[in-house]
Amino acid sequence: MSSPARTDLGRALCIITGASRGFGRTIAREMSRLVKPGSALILTARSVDDLRTLQAELAESDAGRAGQVVQCVVADLSEMEGLQRIVTASRDAFCEDMDHVMLVNNAASLGDVSRYAKTFSDMAEVDSYLSLNVSSSLCLTARVLQAFPQRPGQQRTVVNISSLCALQPFRSWVLYCTSKAAREMMFRVLAAEEPDLRVLSYSPGPLDTAMQTAARSRTADPEIRKSFSDMFAQGQLLTCEASCAKLMKLLLEDAYTTGAHIDIYDL
Amino acid sequence: MFIYTKRRKKTCFHKRRSIKMSNITNHSTLGRSICIITGASKGFGRALAHKVSCWLEPGSVLLLVARSETLLQELKEELQSFTEEQQLVVHCVAVDLSKREGVNETIRVARQEAVNEIEHLLLINNAASLGDISHFGSFTNLEEVNSYLSLNISSALALTAGILQVFSCTPLMRRSVVNISSALALQPLPSWVLYCTAKAARMMMFRVLAKEQPLVKVLIYSPGPMDTDMQKDILRLTGVKHHLLPAQESADKLVKLLLDDDFVSGANLDFFDV
Repeated sequence: MSSPARTDLGRALCIITGASRGFGRTIAREMSRLVKPGSALILTARSVDDLRTLQAELAESDAGRAGQVVQCVVADLSEMEGLQRIVTASRDAFCEDMDHVMLVNNAASLGDVSRYAKTFSDMAEVDSYLSLNVSSSLCLTARVLQAFPQRPGQQRTVVNISSLCALQPFRSWVLYCTSKAAREMMFRVLAAEEPDLRVLSYSPGPLDTAMQTAARSRTADPEIRKSFSDMFAQGQLLTCEASCAKLMKLLLEDAYTTGAHIDIYDL
Repeated sequence: MFIYTKRRKKTCFHKRRSIKMSNITNHSTLGRSICIITGASKGFGRALAHKVSCWLEPGSVLLLVARSETLLQELKEELQSFTEEQQLVVHCVAVDLSKREGVNETIRVARQEAVNEIEHLLLINNAASLGDISHFGSFTNLEEVNSYLSLNISSALALTAGILQVFSCTPLMRRSVVNISSALALQPLPSWVLYCTAKAARMMMFRVLAKEQPLVKVLIYSPGPMDTDMQKDILRLTGVKHHLLPAQESADKLVKLLLDDDFVSGANLDFFDV
């Protein structure tokens, strides 16, 4: 009963956070290939150099040569002013004939995994972590939805880059697990509130990124650290490309239940 | 909501348990404890203060934490004849737990009481706020969201961490940490993004703690909808009226769980399940 899968994501405005490295950068590259001419990508991160490098790379791609707009917004997501600039750039890049607005909440940090929960007695440290990893995704999503209200003929998609840690507790990972569980619920509420909105929490699997390197070198819990090291040693880490391909397929097929948590290993 | 369907009657509320080989704590009372209750001035926290104090052995210390000095003192006076008779020491800690100074002060008072021969540390993370009940798109203000998460997530973690540090591993001490949770930690509800998010976050946080600390019993308890000011606010803001439980009844259940002490650490228990 399903209609044939799309081969592109439409004439889209696509906002991607944490776009300068790792999974976010791969998402940017893939989106660039899958959106139709006349689309715009808004790439945000803190690192101006990495963003500019990516922007230059995309400008040289087929899509770039065909006029795809790629805007970089250097912003700290834990500052209101940063969120505002992302939305302003998005509004500026938006064209009336765009039929898809996408927001990929990818930016995140690991937090200090070298310590156990009982050491987190400094409220400021926890506040700061939650601000980046939870609050900013709520506020950015709210602002984007306000800036781009539902219109007929236009699809809006919100992606939450999640983790197994949203569902299962891991020793020495209290901040990361807490924030992923928070985001999981946050986007489930969003999905329940807005039936016209497509909301997906995607868990990309263990990716071969800087975050993973930090995980396997710093995790306090010996058993968990070993399982990360083993995955690395046995070549079980996934490339960002492989995982991103699965995410893009989900988005193209657009058949997932809104608000669902989908793990790469479910597919 | 799906979980408010089962009710089971328990006939025996005060079972005596034989002494377990693995620990020598007598489960017929909560022992000579230091018991810290946050959000103790009203509602469920206040009901807990009343109920818990019945089960504390002489020499126990009760720390009642909330913002209102006045309400805490009233509570202390309500408990006075009983606490005097039972030789319980009651401290009112009037602080704002959304501020680090408030959390630190609570830890400081607890530390100064750590000199006594305490058998049981019982920390009940009850303080919480409803937050703005409003559609998702309205939450554009980072400061508002940060402030909410700070009180409802960060302060529970920081306080729990600080208290556990003060009462670090002594083999004879029983240590219990309670997270007052909600059905909304598991079930999303439109317009309730702040509350649901914080409760889901806390649930995970305390599950991680339970995995890390095999010597600490962590209980995640959903008390059900009770006759408190928070429910009055819910009615006012949403117009939705629940059948409300007396807070004392839910407090009774929680105390029973702590006395029986046979829950699996990290378990999530709902008033209606037990």
